[in-house]
Amino acid sequence: MIQYYFMLGVRSLRRNPALTALMVLILAVGVAASVSTLTILHVMSGDPYPQKSGRLIVPVVDNGPTEGYTPGDERNDNQASYTDAVNILNSKQGDRRTVLYGVAGSLEAARNDIGVFTVEGLAPTRDFFDIFEVPFLYGQPWSAAEDKDASDVVILNRKLSEKLYGAVNPTGQRVRLMGNNYLIVGVIDTWRPVPRVHRIIGGEGAFGDEDEFFIPFSTAIRHEQSHNGSMNCTSYREPGWQSLLNSECTWLQVWVELHSASDRANFQNWLDAYASEQRKLGRLKRAAPNVQYNVMEWLEHLKVVGKDSRISAWLAFGFLVLCLVNTIGLLLAKFSVRAPEIGVRRALGASRKEIFTQFLIESAVVGLVGGVLGLILAMGALSLIGSISKQLAVVTSMDWMMLFVTFAMAVSAAVLAGLLPTWRACQVTPALQLKSQ
Amino acid sequence: MEIKPIFSALMRSRTGPILVAVQVALSLAILANALHIVNVRQAVSARSSGLAAEESTFSLRSRPLRAGGHEEQIATQRAEIAALRAVPGVVSVAQTMQLPMSQSGNYNSLAAKREQLKESTGAAVYVTPDSLIKTWGLKLIEGRDFNPQDVLEVDQNVSKEFPNAVIITRATGERVWPGAGSFVGKTLYFGTGKDAREARVIGVIEKLQTPGAAVGDDGETSTIIPARLTNGGRVIYAIRAEPGQMDRVMRDTEQAVRNLHKGQVVVRTKTTLDDRTSRYKADNALAWMLITVSVLLLIVTASGIVGMASLWVTQRRKQIGVRRALGARRVDILRYFVTENVMITTTGIAGGLLGALALNQLLVSKLELARLPAEYMIVGAILFWALGIFAVYGPAWRAASISPALATRSA
Repeated sequence: MIQYYFMLGVRSLRRNPALTALMVLILAVGVAASVSTLTILHVMSGDPYPQKSGRLIVPVVDNGPTEGYTPGDERNDNQASYTDAVNILNSKQGDRRTVLYGVAGSLEAARNDIGVFTVEGLAPTRDFFDIFEVPFLYGQPWSAAEDKDASDVVILNRKLSEKLYGAVNPTGQRVRLMGNNYLIVGVIDTWRPVPRVHRIIGGEGAFGDEDEFFIPFSTAIRHEQSHNGSMNCTSYREPGWQSLLNSECTWLQVWVELHSASDRANFQNWLDAYASEQRKLGRLKRAAPNVQYNVMEWLEHLKVVGKDSRISAWLAFGFLVLCLVNTIGLLLAKFSVRAPEIGVRRALGASRKEIFTQFLIESAVVGLVGGVLGLILAMGALSLIGSISKQLAVVTSMDWMMLFVTFAMAVSAAVLAGLLPTWRACQVTPALQLKSQ
Repeated sequence: MEIKPIFSALMRSRTGPILVAVQVALSLAILANALHIVNVRQAVSARSSGLAAEESTFSLRSRPLRAGGHEEQIATQRAEIAALRAVPGVVSVAQTMQLPMSQSGNYNSLAAKREQLKESTGAAVYVTPDSLIKTWGLKLIEGRDFNPQDVLEVDQNVSKEFPNAVIITRATGERVWPGAGSFVGKTLYFGTGKDAREARVIGVIEKLQTPGAAVGDDGETSTIIPARLTNGGRVIYAIRAEPGQMDRVMRDTEQAVRNLHKGQVVVRTKTTLDDRTSRYKADNALAWMLITVSVLLLIVTASGIVGMASLWVTQRRKQIGVRRALGARRVDILRYFVTENVMITTTGIAGGLLGALALNQLLVSKLELARLPAEYMIVGAILFWALGIFAVYGPAWRAASISPALATRSA
């Protein structure tokens, strides 16, 4: 019977073409608006490392001065000083650890037609590639020994490698980068984690472009490679590179991969012990809490999902409610002219329940058609938003989950809108209807 | 008037009118808030950066492959600025380390006293050996611009020297010395405590936005210090071109720097308007999104009113025929439907005004938005009255055109 009602529903779409088209269109627009804003929210707040995000940790200790500090004040910075970063790196805590900062400079291509251009990259340690599951196209990460020796080795990203060498394996070649010759040891494949949790601070932010190259952290320090990103100094430091390393300026980001999320308590103990030791040494001044963030907490803490995206989503949902109310009105109109038909069916023995099922299915059919149209509109809207900027393009791709949400939303909206009109349809008195014919 | 009979007719079948009123209320609540947000954002992105002629200003960033030592870097900077000044169409050039609205730059904490525990404000620090005031056309409201004697040459690898003159914006002065009418001659501290550097305010400019160009006063707390730095910091040239010659001047200056370094340099130029566009991209994107939703809102609401009104006209064909036969003129029928609609929309508008306030309250508390001014509610109310009358006019006119003879004859 349900199949038959479904057929009836499809057929009745043609009965009032103008009214039905309006209904489907309004539903589709409402669904499209909320789905496209929801997709952006969904992607922005996504978890790029679902298997391990709970045990990828950013430890932060507060190294700010005590002048003007009262306990409970905001932390000095979210980044780490060189001293803290290197101490955590050498701590043997967790399975893997890395320290990184942004570097940028000129690349002198051997090919004359390319010339000199600026590239932006990262200076992490070896474990970075394992921690963030970076896919390799050629070669592999540099070795721990190369980290230790601060060797002049570099890993390119696929785009830069293809720009310089075409589609061949360039490992073993040398490239002149930031005034030094680097040996290429690997090329990573296209790598676009969304959001870019490893580099939200500094650079282009959570939805920025790919990193073009990677050199060992120790190498960058040895070459006194200045940072490309943000640095926070609470007092004037002495001039020179070594004094930057000795200073309490914060400019590095530290990541620790724990063996399991349950190790966080142990890590917290270690972090507290480390901080109190540094306080005893007189380095850390504030009696501030030491904090660790996992990936999702880090995204939340840095407010990666913008206020604007939330405003858009809220207003789009308000709009969907409006479309729903509108659809109720239109369905009411559509069903009200069917009173004679209902009268006949009731007189021939159909129960109220039967009528209810039939008309609700008819509403669901409207929702289904609205859903298909809404999906097309949402995709159009998303590609339009994506075309505005490269950064937005990253967050405007729809996945299966959002596809499902679109349909579920459209159909349930239509069924919800159909409830009142359907209930009204059930109230038709057969005798009255038959008499008036 | 016929308000009473219309009212009692409305009371007999309430569902339809309630639906229309709810639609109007929802649309008005959303529209008023959306337009308010759009206007706030437009006002933010239309703020002046303090630069007199943004459309003919651009920046050129030079990064030579081999920088050399302190003396060599100073010589390079001097040679570069001379080469830029020699390009025809260049009105003025000044070296700087950062640009307003470029979203990347140096900030420092400022204080009025060395003993202060907490900073008075954070401020952007523009460092220039030239005159940014001349190049950017900043408005000097007190004191004087730097002269060449003020400029200090600092090798950041070995020296902590700091110039002893500073020019501040009015917003900076008001943050550091609230209530003081004049700021020239005062001593400003960069940082607090024993490490703080001091400089005397020699001039005050009306306005210069920070690289972040944050909303409110925070976006205008800038300082300019006279120094030529080497070993650290970017070398950027702010350039003003003759009006209308921007594109050519940009190309020629780029080429001039390339020629100077015989190609061994990375040169990038960017117009101030491009900086402005990227600074306000998010604001503009949100504004367009809200405008789109608002237009759709109006269309959906109007179509809802048309749909319901058409339904009522169809349902009341017979009654209209009877009324016409008993002497009602067309204009009476027309007036009946329009009045009915105005009554429904008015109810909706009343609900919408409350809804707008409630939604605004929610946005204020959850997303730190500004309060909704009354104008938006008044304009919104008028807009929906007009929309209601406009939407109902078609169906009402069809009702008025019903021929009494035909309408009463049929079953």
